[in-house]
Amino acid sequence: MTRVGTSVEVLREQAVRARRLVVDMAAQPTGCHLGGSLSVVDILVAAFDRAAEDDGTEVVLSKGHAAAALYAALHVSGRLAENPAPLYGLAGHHYTGHPSPAVPGVRFPTGSLGHGVPYAVGWALARRLSGGTGLGIAVTGDGELQEGLVWEACQVAAAQRLANLVVVVDRNGGQNDGLVADISPLPDLGARFAAFGFDVSEVDGHDIGAVRALLDGVGSRPHAVIAHTVKGKGVPPVEGKAGAHYVTIDAARAAKWKRMIR
Amino acid sequence: MEADDQVSTVLSGRDAYRAELAELARHDPRLLCFEADLGGRKHPFAQEHPDRFFNLGIAEATMIDMAAALASAGYRPFVSTFAPFATLRAAESMKLSMGYMGAGVVVVAPYSGVSGAWFGTTHHCLEDLAVVQSFPGITIAAPHGEAETRAVIRAAAAGSGPVYVRTGRSAAAVSLPLDGEPPLVNWASSGSSDVCLVSVGEVGTELALEACARRPDLGHAHLCFVDHASLTAVASELRRSRYSRFVVVEEHRPAGGVASTLALLVPEVAVVGVNAGMTWPSEGGDHGEVLSGLGLDLAHVLAAV
Repeated sequence: MTRVGTSVEVLREQAVRARRLVVDMAAQPTGCHLGGSLSVVDILVAAFDRAAEDDGTEVVLSKGHAAAALYAALHVSGRLAENPAPLYGLAGHHYTGHPSPAVPGVRFPTGSLGHGVPYAVGWALARRLSGGTGLGIAVTGDGELQEGLVWEACQVAAAQRLANLVVVVDRNGGQNDGLVADISPLPDLGARFAAFGFDVSEVDGHDIGAVRALLDGVGSRPHAVIAHTVKGKGVPPVEGKAGAHYVTIDAARAAKWKRMIR
Repeated sequence: MEADDQVSTVLSGRDAYRAELAELARHDPRLLCFEADLGGRKHPFAQEHPDRFFNLGIAEATMIDMAAALASAGYRPFVSTFAPFATLRAAESMKLSMGYMGAGVVVVAPYSGVSGAWFGTTHHCLEDLAVVQSFPGITIAAPHGEAETRAVIRAAAAGSGPVYVRTGRSAAAVSLPLDGEPPLVNWASSGSSDVCLVSVGEVGTELALEACARRPDLGHAHLCFVDHASLTAVASELRRSRYSRFVVVEEHRPAGGVASTLALLVPEVAVVGVNAGMTWPSEGGDHGEVLSGLGLDLAHVLAAV
């Protein structure tokens, strides 16, 4: 199947807008999971562009704490009409710190880590059963890979030969309490997925065109895309800093940081 | 046909489920059947509909999360694993997928209560009603006998919401007379006293029937649907009855069981429970022996009325 996709330039522009929205959400009274939201923005923008092919592809943000990025990406991709940023975390609105199906464009509640992967596996199976095209795409964090459920689901996906499943790992190297490498490292991550029976790709997770290209085809086995990213990407004061996991800022700082995003 | 062949065999709850779903699937392509390595080697659904049967291996939480996606896509997935694994190991999947998301998944859970008997503590589940009842939106059915189990499965297949069905292991029972879908309250006998047994599930209902045989003056109300919403409606019906004392018999702990819920819903009358208590059964024996060790037997039912 070929399609005239959105140009990479347009996707980059969407990512810039999405990052600025994420910073706006960090300036809400609640703050937000800023670092992991900024690291996953490009992946989500690419994934929603893939879903725009309207072939039944479903994107699940399994690392639900990056809800700010999800809401922003849904908005810039046109799937969510209203701007979620001014409503994030507020009473009377559904833009909670972890996403729920009450938000348009979200099917599955994530935030308790691991569950989005089996949901995407089920989606891939549904597409195959119905004879349809389309992918089940789960976007996980690398810290999230410490959850056993992720690997349980990968085992099932391989056993069921779900070639239309893609697991994208936002490999930003951080987690709540520090660095993945210090807490529970993941050496040979690609080999781990390969051992489970996945095809494995490694990519710069901020190269939207490259990420998008990896979501195009269906191979013969489930596909793991290890997307190397930077926590806090796009906002130099927080880039690569473990302390950027959860951030609350004031409006002046938000305005300054948004100007830095290019 | 030999005469012996005409003697019908009553199926256990889990076998009734498997047989009924396989039959329903002949005419309903939306129905899918999932197992987590506990479906046995000759599952009727697998034999009849191999393209819609999936043994996912020992992966209970994955199975329920996957089923949620399939329900989102328009299928009606039935998943089955033992009650302790469904409601405890995969409790969060049930909460998120079936509760919060409201996914149209049906979980059928054999080995509820201590029907696993000598298999031991890991295979007992005296907590499932407490767990699942606390998730709003999930219908809970505890059918008694083959006919009622089949009726529950038919209703679940025809419906669209999340359902949890608890059954025992291998015991087979003849259901109370049933016409169509199980009623909110099946008034099995009225008795003459102001005491009414309220029976839940396979063991609770068998014990209530035995107790009524000994004490015909006792009323007997059998419940099949025991989620909080159903019990709220049951409470209204019990409140309108003439009884002033209800003795709930259930193979569950007192905490979070049907008796505890009804006691809150019908505070104006006495609601007491005969149940499996708050200890950890850890000895061998058959189902009946384990139940007796827990004080869930006829003597305790009669003592409670």
